[in-house]
Amino acid sequence: MATPAPIEVPPPNDRRGSRASQTSVHTQDEISPVGGPPTSPSPLQIRASRESSRKQSATKQPPDLSLLQYVSKPDSNLMCLICHCPFSDPLQLECEHIFCGDCLHTWEAQQAQQAQQRNRELADRKCPTCRTKYTGTRAVPKIIASMLDELVVNCPHTRAGCKWVDQRSNVKDHVMLYCEYTPVACSSFDCRHHIAQKDYHKGCLHYTVSCEQCHTSMMKKDLEVCVTDHQRTACAGRSTNCPHCSCELLRLDLKAHIKDVCGKVVVPCQGAIVGCAFSAERAEVVTHEKGCPMATMAPHFRDQQARIERNEARLEPLSRKVGILEDGLSNITNMLYPANANDSSYPVTNPLDPNTSEPFPPASLVPTPDFRLPPASFPPVPPNDTSQTPFQNPSQPPFDSQVHHLLTLHDSLREEVSRIANALTECEGRTNMMVINESQRVKDEMLHTNAAINGMRMQLHWLMSATLHQRTSSSASSSTGRAAASTSASGSGSAPTQGASRSGTGGTYHAPLRRLSDSTRQDTKL
Amino acid sequence: MFASKRLAKELQKLHDKLPPGITLVKADDLQEWIMDIRVVDNNPIYVGEVYRLKFTFSQSYPIEAPEVVFVRDETHPIPWHPHIYSNGIICLDLLDRQGWSPVHNVESVCVSLQSMLTSNTKKERPEGDDNFVRNNRLRPRDINFIFHDNQV
Repeated sequence: MATPAPIEVPPPNDRRGSRASQTSVHTQDEISPVGGPPTSPSPLQIRASRESSRKQSATKQPPDLSLLQYVSKPDSNLMCLICHCPFSDPLQLECEHIFCGDCLHTWEAQQAQQAQQRNRELADRKCPTCRTKYTGTRAVPKIIASMLDELVVNCPHTRAGCKWVDQRSNVKDHVMLYCEYTPVACSSFDCRHHIAQKDYHKGCLHYTVSCEQCHTSMMKKDLEVCVTDHQRTACAGRSTNCPHCSCELLRLDLKAHIKDVCGKVVVPCQGAIVGCAFSAERAEVVTHEKGCPMATMAPHFRDQQARIERNEARLEPLSRKVGILEDGLSNITNMLYPANANDSSYPVTNPLDPNTSEPFPPASLVPTPDFRLPPASFPPVPPNDTSQTPFQNPSQPPFDSQVHHLLTLHDSLREEVSRIANALTECEGRTNMMVINESQRVKDEMLHTNAAINGMRMQLHWLMSATLHQRTSSSASSSTGRAAASTSASGSGSAPTQGASRSGTGGTYHAPLRRLSDSTRQDTKL
Repeated sequence: MFASKRLAKELQKLHDKLPPGITLVKADDLQEWIMDIRVVDNNPIYVGEVYRLKFTFSQSYPIEAPEVVFVRDETHPIPWHPHIYSNGIICLDLLDRQGWSPVHNVESVCVSLQSMLTSNTKKERPEGDDNFVRNNRLRPRDINFIFHDNQV
């Protein structure tokens, strides 16, 4: 007891380290089937399946009804005569005797086995109670089932600390879903122990530690889960003496004892917060406090103090809100009236009268959470719009408080800003319209010009092709004149000569006008 | 598992209350119990005597019958009965695997034996007692009795 140093055997960190190395070895083993045939499952799959099978084997078990503790002794008529427990999944025979389904089936199986051993057919199944032959079973009457359901039981994990008590029909849901003490698989991968559901998130607690006081070795889990139990009942070093009054008490309660109970500890008078300077052992202080007016007043003062603190805490966000509002307002005013930018006194320079503008919806008076209006987001106000705002500053209605006043101002300003925004939109629409009209007109003119240009181009082409045609026909007539001397040269060029020249030259100039104009048009299009 | 649960419950009940003439002597574990019975009425054959019974339970009790025999010591003789051999083996259909039913229990077996003795009027051993006692090496549960007497 001289040096109660905490000894942990072995230290958990070391344990963790060795465990980590083990797992790494494991993973290496699991990686090995990489080179297997393509049909074999991948190492990842193997691992996943292993994990799932392990977790499945460790999932919560539904409670065994025959092990339940009943709060009151159940009616003897509800007892199965085979297992001497209240029926679970009961079945009724034709003789109206009732047994647990499991009990009856075990009995039937044993009978059948015996008959087989004697090489005899199991002639008849007989009721264990009255030996009446029966051929089948049926469900028990509703009333029996509901009487069984209504039996009040303790949680099967009462020993672990669960306080749940309810009807038997609910016990399965409780254990499977709600009970904090249901054992589940430990969260650590390579740990095979179970742990109560409520301690699952604490990680693996299955390593040995020793109690700080009595050096008893125990699982960390047990120390963790019932540390108070251990120190209250089991621990050898659980009792200690108070250093002040030397009375014997549990180590667990020592702090609370010194703080609130021990009569020998020197404590100040309760009235110290109001100024009482008395300070002595607790026993004396108690007698002193009976006569001390300041100690009598102390609770009231404490209440007051608490109330003041509460109010201050409530005031703080309000003042912040007001500051933000003031900032926003000054920004708005500065923007609206650059002349008054240096003036900071709002009530004097306030240009807006809420009475002249449209009535606000009542909700707008309530400070909304999005009242924070950064000044940069305000669009610059065109000067002609300011003329629409009421400039006059008539008598203001008396405001309840500055906050109210500021809020009213803020709202009217917001109204104004929205009106300005509307005007801006309208203006923009008008401008757009104008631009569209203007451009339409320009487009039309362009079309006209284009048409005229095209006409001119057509004419030019026609003229050019006509000239070309004239030139070729004249040269052709000269060559034919040379070839056939009998034919007298004629400038107008007859049809037969044209046909000859066409066959001779390969039809280079046939249908010149039409094609030429077509091709030129295509060119212009391109 | 099944047996121990049920035996624990029976033991609890036996500690609680027992029919007249039956006492629990020893039940240290859930495998072998010793009970004492005596005949309550004034049957002259059994008057003033206490008989000791040994129950041996298998793992599958109560689906399987317990082994019940009378044991003899200085103060506890084997009762005279035409179905009780002098080595304590009892010929009773209730204790045979054919006659056993899981609804029976230690108390009901004791009561049955009690009534079997009560109704008896012959102070004799079964036929061929000497021979059986000398030659029998079987355990009681493996003996095939032939039940012929419906008087008991």
